[in-house]
Amino acid sequence: MASSSSNLISLKTSDGTVFKVERALAKTMKTVQAIIEEADANIYMIPIHNVFSHHMDMIIDYYKLSVAGKSKEFSVEKLDNDELKDFLLAVHYLNMEDLFEVLTQAVADRLEKKSVGYVRKYFGIENDFTPEEYAAIRKKNDWAFKGDDIEPEEDEEKQEE
Amino acid sequence: MKRGTKKRIKEKNEDRFSCLPDYVLLHILSFFDIKEAIQTCILSTRWKNLWKILPTLTLISSQFATFEAFTKFISKILSLRDASASLDVLDFQCEGRMDPRELKRILTYAISHSVKRLRIDVNFDIQQFLPSLFSCHTLTSLHLSIYESPRPITLFPNSLNLPAVTTLALNGFLFCVGDDGRVDPFSKFDKLDTLMIYGACEVRDNKLNLCISSTTLVNLTIRTNYSAAGGIRFQLYTPNLCTFVYHGHIPFQKLCGINSNLSSIKHVLLDMTIGVGMWSNPKDNPLLLLHLLDELANVESLTISHRTLKVLSLVPYLLEIEFTSLYNLKSLKVDGKFITEGMLYFLLQNAPSAKVILY
Repeated sequence: MASSSSNLISLKTSDGTVFKVERALAKTMKTVQAIIEEADANIYMIPIHNVFSHHMDMIIDYYKLSVAGKSKEFSVEKLDNDELKDFLLAVHYLNMEDLFEVLTQAVADRLEKKSVGYVRKYFGIENDFTPEEYAAIRKKNDWAFKGDDIEPEEDEEKQEE
Repeated sequence: MKRGTKKRIKEKNEDRFSCLPDYVLLHILSFFDIKEAIQTCILSTRWKNLWKILPTLTLISSQFATFEAFTKFISKILSLRDASASLDVLDFQCEGRMDPRELKRILTYAISHSVKRLRIDVNFDIQQFLPSLFSCHTLTSLHLSIYESPRPITLFPNSLNLPAVTTLALNGFLFCVGDDGRVDPFSKFDKLDTLMIYGACEVRDNKLNLCISSTTLVNLTIRTNYSAAGGIRFQLYTPNLCTFVYHGHIPFQKLCGINSNLSSIKHVLLDMTIGVGMWSNPKDNPLLLLHLLDELANVESLTISHRTLKVLSLVPYLLEIEFTSLYNLKSLKVDGKFITEGMLYFLLQNAPSAKVILY
């Protein structure tokens, strides 16, 4: 069944679930919108990689709230750190401006005032400084650390020998 | 060589996050306290210089132990920041008198780095910086709050060139008469859609009205101090205004300008009081509220504060007054503690199916 005449777009998530969403919602996903616009013929189903059905559930929740003028009620508190990161990656892939703003703010809130080690772990960043490089950069930007208690680097993986 | 699943997941995670482009990381950083944002330089070699291209700078003096620390900090950022990186947002909030040369350095830096959204919140005179601010072509949003004394001290310039500004917020300004003998400061904005006038703002010659003429204006918020001498008398020439928020004295005269009307306004919030010192005819003043409601006949959603309800309660024989306005009302939001049956009946008489929300 061709979907160009109807107001619903079919999106298939990575885990194989098909969601029929309003055109207006699909429009907020710039990635999807680009696919729709590029296709001359009617699009039957659009696969969205990296997006799982639980992501789509939240995206639809957010959409419903923002249409009702209640976007401030949307919360990602119940997601743990990994789930939030995962969701951000999905929204980033779909290129959704408003939700992206909400999620980057949520990530920033979780990292506020956390230690260096915590932030590294969160982003999965490996400390690839040599001890000398680390000391140099720490010294150069000392003015930004003044008054804060930044612990000296404690890296479980690297052994300073 | 077998690897544990835990390590595999960890590597997968690292991989996925390392393919996040810089702009996503920068976006997250833009929400950080500026000090914390800069401290990310020690995370890894990738993060070492990332802060230097952060397009958002939020500089708040109260976050620093001393004023001197604040100015030194700013100085460091300006000299170490990547000179080719544009600055999209500058949010500068300073309590305490800053050396004008320092402030000039910051503003010049912002303007020369194509700043788009600029907020300045200070308690000292910045008149000398206005010419350069008001001719910055990259600005899309400008928020200026100057609270040096209870009365405004800063003159809003009559000549300005801000072709890209869509949002303007002002506190502490004196509006002056232009060449045409009117006080009409916003007509020169081609793209203005959101305007906020709050705090201590006045018209220099307070016998004159403040005209707000804009065909592009969609959102207007007025929130002037109750103590402002005489209060500003507004005249709106805004044919496309949709949302109107008004905290202040009930206007004595019609809000809409000559040959103009407020029929485009759909959403209104009213928080009104009766002007102090205008008790020349106390019996008439509450009625002025009804005249205002008459002007806002087309609104679809109306929020009324308890102060406004107080004024409404002073209207004698309210239910006997002929009221033909608010016929398009779809929703009414009022303070549940102060609203009476009579007032509800009065307000909804022409739109009985409107939804009532009590807060």
